[in-house]
Amino acid sequence: MNFTWRTWLVIVLVIAVVGAALYFPALRRQVYKAKDITEKTAEQARRELLPPAPVTSGDPKVKAKMYWGSRSQPGQLDPVTVELPLSSDPVLRSKQILNTLLAGPVDPEARTLPPDAALLAFYILPDGTAIADFSEALANSIPSGIESEQLAVDSITRTLAANIPQAKQLKILIHGQEVDTLAGHLDLTQPFDVTLEGMSEPRSGVSIITAPIQKAIDKVKDATKR
Amino acid sequence: MGLNVVVLDPAHGGVDLGARGTEGIRESEVVLQFAGQVKRALEAQGFQVILTREGNDNPSFDDRSARANAQRGAVFVTLHISSTGLPGTARTYVMPDFPPSSDVSGLIPWDRAQAPFTALSHKLGDLVQAELAKRFKGSPATAQIAPVRQLRTTAAPAIAVEVSSVSVENRADLDRMIPGVAEAIAQGVAAFRPSYVLPAIPGNVSGQGGQP
Repeated sequence: MNFTWRTWLVIVLVIAVVGAALYFPALRRQVYKAKDITEKTAEQARRELLPPAPVTSGDPKVKAKMYWGSRSQPGQLDPVTVELPLSSDPVLRSKQILNTLLAGPVDPEARTLPPDAALLAFYILPDGTAIADFSEALANSIPSGIESEQLAVDSITRTLAANIPQAKQLKILIHGQEVDTLAGHLDLTQPFDVTLEGMSEPRSGVSIITAPIQKAIDKVKDATKR
Repeated sequence: MGLNVVVLDPAHGGVDLGARGTEGIRESEVVLQFAGQVKRALEAQGFQVILTREGNDNPSFDDRSARANAQRGAVFVTLHISSTGLPGTARTYVMPDFPPSSDVSGLIPWDRAQAPFTALSHKLGDLVQAELAKRFKGSPATAQIAPVRQLRTTAAPAIAVEVSSVSVENRADLDRMIPGVAEAIAQGVAAFRPSYVLPAIPGNVSGQGGQP
């Protein structure tokens, strides 16, 4: 009798161990999958809350110059002319232009910005300082390195320079916040010149972040917190 | 005051792995290997070398700059491996020019520490890049300009050297570059030695030994 009771106990324990060995990996896969879905849903929800810059049928089609990566010269940018319906309002026009830049070229190898990055907000201050607020994907998904980060910023500043004459310099925020670097290398604490001349450089001058720029940055931060 | 110290900075480290390749190559590990050989090449040229990290830790940007800013007669070299670029090439980066500023006490703001040194940094960058271009075909002939965060707070001639790339199929391809990169940096810094004169810094009457 005692032998039978022990035998049954051993059998039950063995079944429990085997069951756990089969169940826990499946449970782990389910947890990871659920986490992935949650993250994607959060990003998707944010995008849905922020309507894309409207492209109305009334906007005239104009030739816009986009700066994407060069296939013939790695590490360089090439201008590509595309025909887009663009607003005459500089802020709306900037959003339309940057969304096109983010959407990427026909050749995915010529991308300069991550495909999952989104423009969350865009302003132009009276002094010509543009403030562009991008989603965290811009910083998290961009290939890490001085060259790749410089190329990403250059593609934004040159595209703005070619299409938005009102923008003189650009301050980049990530999800409403000022950050030290784009992805560990390029300095984002200072605005960049919006220019087609040479490389993008921080603005020179003693007081770079002026009071109106700081006020606008704070406004974006507050909006993001809400 | 002559140039006798090189502060060598293997970038990233700790939880910050830096660029990561598909073959499991981690920038934070590879730059440590590069730094070891660069150190030996610089010591052979008679320089004292200070490493900002020797293990798998991650000092802040400011802590790394502080190692250089505490020295007299030093240059700063930060080492990186990129995610992109033509494999087998190397680029030197320097900060763009920005005018120095100082407060009423004559002290230079920490976040503008590089400002008085940009001309010297460009000279050092061009010398190192010329040596890299000799050894690695396809590399640019002169230093590139980029606002690299690590350089901005460094009060010394400062350059970033970035090697391409973690995307190589075989780690040995990067390892083969180590001696050439080490020699290029050592030769470039040695060639820079006669040009090294501390710049005049606002608030410092003599302009000598006036690091902030």
